[in-house]
Amino acid sequence: MARGFRRKGSGRQARYVAQLDPLERATVAGLMDQVRELLDPPAPVPEGGDAFASIVAGLGMGVTVAAEDQSDLDPDDAGRDPALARLLPTANRQDDEVAAEFRRLTETGLRQRKAAALETSADLLRGEDKIRLDAGQSRAVLAALTDVRLVLGERMGLRTDEDVQVLEAAAQDLDPDDPLAYALAVYDFLTWLQETLASAMLDG
Amino acid sequence: MPGRAYPYCVSLAPVQEEVTATGGDVAPDTPWITIVWNDPVNLMSYVTWVLQNHFGYSRKKSEKLMMDVHTQGRAVVANGTREAMEADTEALHGYGLWATFQKDE
Repeated sequence: MARGFRRKGSGRQARYVAQLDPLERATVAGLMDQVRELLDPPAPVPEGGDAFASIVAGLGMGVTVAAEDQSDLDPDDAGRDPALARLLPTANRQDDEVAAEFRRLTETGLRQRKAAALETSADLLRGEDKIRLDAGQSRAVLAALTDVRLVLGERMGLRTDEDVQVLEAAAQDLDPDDPLAYALAVYDFLTWLQETLASAMLDG
Repeated sequence: MPGRAYPYCVSLAPVQEEVTATGGDVAPDTPWITIVWNDPVNLMSYVTWVLQNHFGYSRKKSEKLMMDVHTQGRAVVANGTREAMEADTEALHGYGLWATFQKDE
């Protein structure tokens, strides 16, 4: 049974401690790996290429956020995977040139920083059931959980607050084995975990 | 007020004949703003934490801005030079917030 994050100590000595079981840790770490892959894709492959085929669930549990596993991707204006567009959104809605310049100047650095936080966090989760974070690690995990939830949320079609309510209501009628029901359960778990960490850090 | 010259200041530098205009488009500095938009994923506690940590705002101010985002769909979280607003926007994207910058019009 998971125990959410709690703060131990204060100031520079503050630590954030949680307890997750191996399956929970593997699930979250696996999703962090997938989001990192999304941010740091291999070189483009020709049409029909199968280079992404190895990035499937990896967990054998049916939750995958990898682009090739989505049946109904709706690329954004720039032809991007919408989940990637959510991680790296358009920064200026009034002027395409300004937005493009911002993207050119910031995108590589943003991708690298996000990927680094995701990698740090996945490594931490692959340690022991008792997770103990210092200040820097807690910031990395908080950001990594955000990026995973953003991608998973986008994959489940959550674009407005109403979407969340509709999905939660519809989920009650879903078979527990339905992939969407499982994805929503994982999403809710991530939400709970992040809420405990954000609250603990906000009070610290 | 960049580019303004003070020709009568005491100076040992050679006297300049005249300072010519430094450019054609020296419109008064338009303030720029950074906006955070509502999204269904980011948690209220997390958005508050980000605003507090990135901008150094008080808990109270951070919560007020967060509630504005949540209830009104967006909130202006900072204003200043274009460069500063770009830096804020980049940082907020790093945190996963849905941020944009623009001229304050």
